[in-house]
Amino acid sequence: MDLLKGTLDVLVLKALTWGPRHGYAVARWIEDATTGQLQVEDGALYHALHRLEKQGWVESEWGVSEANRRARYYTLTRAGRRQLAAKTATWTRYAEAVFAALRTA
Amino acid sequence: MADLPHGIRRAFRLALRRPPIEQEVDAEIDFHLEMRVAELVERGMTPEAALAEARRRFGDTHEWRVAMSAVDRERVARSERAEWLSDLRQDLRFGARSALRAPLFTLLAVLTLALGIGANAAVFGVVKSVLLDALPYTDADRLVRVYGRFLDGSNDRGPLSAGTVTDIAQRQRSLVGTAAFATLPRESILSGGDEPRVVRVEWAEPKLFRVLGVNAALGRTLRDDDAVGDTAFTVMVTYDAWQQLLGGDPGVVGGTIRINGISRTVAGVLPRGFVGPGGDVDFYYPLDVRLLLRDPISARGSGWLGLVGRLEPGVTADAARSEIAAIGADLAREYPRDNGSITLSTVRLRDSMAGDTRAPLLVLMASAGLVLLITCANLAAALLSRTISRRKEFAVRVALGAGQGRLVRQLLTESALLAFVGGVAGIALAALGLSMLRRLASRALPSYADLSLDPGALVFTFVLALLTGIAFGLMPALSARRSNTQSTLRDESRGASESRQSRRLRGVLVAAQIALCVSLLAGAGLLIRSLAALTSASLGFDPGGVLSVNVQLPADSYRSPEQQENFFERLEEQLRALPGVTGVADASALPTAVMQRNGIRVIGAPPPSDNVLPFALYANVSDDYFRTMEIPLRSGRVFGREDAADAPPTVIISESMARRFWPKGDALGAQLRMGPDPNSTPLTVVGIAGDVRNDPARPDAEPITYVSERQDVRPSRFLFVRTSGDPLALVRPIRSALASLDPNVPMRNAIPLSAFLSDALTGRRLPVVLMTAFGALALLLASVGVYAMFAAMAAAREQEFGIRVALGSTPREIASLVLRQGGVWMVAGLVGGAAGVVVVARLVSGLLYGVRPFDPVTLGVTLLAVVACAVVALLVPVRRATRVDPITTLR
Repeated sequence: MDLLKGTLDVLVLKALTWGPRHGYAVARWIEDATTGQLQVEDGALYHALHRLEKQGWVESEWGVSEANRRARYYTLTRAGRRQLAAKTATWTRYAEAVFAALRTA
Repeated sequence: MADLPHGIRRAFRLALRRPPIEQEVDAEIDFHLEMRVAELVERGMTPEAALAEARRRFGDTHEWRVAMSAVDRERVARSERAEWLSDLRQDLRFGARSALRAPLFTLLAVLTLALGIGANAAVFGVVKSVLLDALPYTDADRLVRVYGRFLDGSNDRGPLSAGTVTDIAQRQRSLVGTAAFATLPRESILSGGDEPRVVRVEWAEPKLFRVLGVNAALGRTLRDDDAVGDTAFTVMVTYDAWQQLLGGDPGVVGGTIRINGISRTVAGVLPRGFVGPGGDVDFYYPLDVRLLLRDPISARGSGWLGLVGRLEPGVTADAARSEIAAIGADLAREYPRDNGSITLSTVRLRDSMAGDTRAPLLVLMASAGLVLLITCANLAAALLSRTISRRKEFAVRVALGAGQGRLVRQLLTESALLAFVGGVAGIALAALGLSMLRRLASRALPSYADLSLDPGALVFTFVLALLTGIAFGLMPALSARRSNTQSTLRDESRGASESRQSRRLRGVLVAAQIALCVSLLAGAGLLIRSLAALTSASLGFDPGGVLSVNVQLPADSYRSPEQQENFFERLEEQLRALPGVTGVADASALPTAVMQRNGIRVIGAPPPSDNVLPFALYANVSDDYFRTMEIPLRSGRVFGREDAADAPPTVIISESMARRFWPKGDALGAQLRMGPDPNSTPLTVVGIAGDVRNDPARPDAEPITYVSERQDVRPSRFLFVRTSGDPLALVRPIRSALASLDPNVPMRNAIPLSAFLSDALTGRRLPVVLMTAFGALALLLASVGVYAMFAAMAAAREQEFGIRVALGSTPREIASLVLRQGGVWMVAGLVGGAAGVVVVARLVSGLLYGVRPFDPVTLGVTLLAVVACAVVALLVPVRRATRVDPITTLR
């Protein structure tokens, strides 16, 4: 299934709600959460992370991973949290509307 | 250093050195691929297949890498901008805080700057409005004015005759157009309002407005065919007169007004701000110069016209000057009797209108500039010592990793902040100063100058303030850069001492301040001495207790000389009866303001060589004039009833006149002819009166002739009433006396003579007052500079002095140590000041009277003042140095 425009950003933000994560962890979370239904290049995901950082929605810092490797960790900022809440609401309404429309026989 | 906790980094604003963006991106991608490969291998893939799969899932590595780097670069640039701004905010906050922590320094710096900048902005405002601003004409720099220069030296900017004006207009080739106008406006009476008003009227050729390039604001300007006959039936009104006299009513254009009892049509209103080359007037009458040529005597013999012209494109003012001078020489040959005594001089109209204000203004500008230089030197010295006392603070910050660029920036921000505050305060001072000048100097400056702080002057001054701050902030900033962190921290734990370099820099700054201060004070001193010479010398009459009033008889109701004379006699009779009045007289002009000059031909004396007719001032006066003004009679008699209109003409001359024309002392009873006509009736000298200085701004008296008003009756006269009480208390009784005789006769310009004289000297006093103020300012600033130098020097060597005292030095020896170190620079400053005095003396030499440019008194007093102030300024630090307590300083 191809990704709808703007979906990736909100998924990435969602992935960071449980605390700082590096890019690979974000990728794994999205795969798990969508049960591998979404086809997205890992590169695109990283690009999204950097774009979100430029927007000021996430912050990054180099840290040490579980495997004792240097990794870049991303954290949701306060502005990012607000953005996620807003986007979640929009997406839910949108999906419900489409769903409701498609349900009518 | 890299492992400092983040909080400390932030607290000291240390820069985080970031690795290049591409490296970070690569590391991130590598980490991701490694993790993915590990995951896939765990699921049972071979490492090779896992790597291939990981790469496939990632997509085009190169493309993503480029895209991510681009995003990061934008982000970094944006955050750097934000950081720069927040740094600036922090620098400003920090600057403000450190400024407040050293309130004395801050106050000194801001005040110094404010004074320097305020003085400059104010003077620049004046200079700009007088010398630089456009005159209220089109392309005013192409306009010139032609003057007659009297060869006897009595008048360099004399009027021209109608014949001369006509000949110049016809013969010249370097001007596009010329126009003549009357140089002296006439006073006339405007009726129709609540009460008759005296207005100023100027006759001008209608093409004057065309030559000046001025259009009417309302209606039209005068046309050539408006000038018909000797009566002006069409007039032009200036904007101010339209507003004040005619109520600003647009309906007056095309309507009629009554001036001197004759109805005249208003052709139009001149634009606001227009001032004619002849000065401020209310109305312009159309003049036809051809009519003046009818009578041979008035055509060439009497001059009362001014001439302006516009340069032909491509012709320089110099070319026009020499062409017109040549025409003047031709006219002198053709009409030796009338033109033999003058040459023609052509000057730019601006120079003509700026008049005598140019030299004083340039002197003032130079003085203000000197003050600014002193200001800069002072500020630089202050910033320098401030930097020295903060060296440790900087060293600590450098040691903690602050970039040196960051420090320089901090210092620059601080000094720019100071300059900004100083500049704002300075502009406020300038506005204050200008409003003072406007009151003080309105008479001393040309009437077109509006003396406003204009945006150009403000921008100029503000840029000046910022440049000063930045330039002198940079110097200490650079020296802070050079300072060696380690040695500062290690060796100077007991307090900062000055480096040899900064000591020399400070010395040079102090020397420069002293030199500038000496020059400025010497200039001010010379001007003060000239003014004193002018005001202390007697004018030749006693102005105290005399009220002067101008009374103008309407021409329509007082046609004959007898009627006019009769009126004034009756009026003066009434005034003599007023309580406290000790004398009443009248004259055609105020003493010191006599304008009219006549050519003099002494009967029996050989005609003047090369036809240069000498000129003398001319006034006509009443019988009691000399007694009332207390002008002493040296010999002969004053005027009386015997000098009636039909009696033989008589004249009273001044002492200098008698000396000049009758060097053998036989003036009394001698005869002379006055005026243009060589065959006029001779006048007999019946009295010799004391000299009156007609120009109070000059120490010598010009020859003057007096004729009885019985023999030359005029409808407009100045009455002089001497009283034992307050002259101003007479205004009301005089007004009612006048009204009781004829309510239609207006009176104006009631002013005590002493007040009038004080006004007349304003032009002289202004540069003196201002330059003295600048001098005092300079002295104050330089003293502060000297104090700061010695204080810093003494503080820096406190430990050394402590050791010396401990080893047995006496306070006297310590004092001489300090003095020797600082004295060198003071002497250097005084020597530099001597050079400055030479320059200043040359600059002001044109403004000096009765004092030589290198007046020993002035120079001596100046030196004394500077040295005395310097001594006072250095006493405190030297005393402190001698009282050094070895125990506290060495502990």
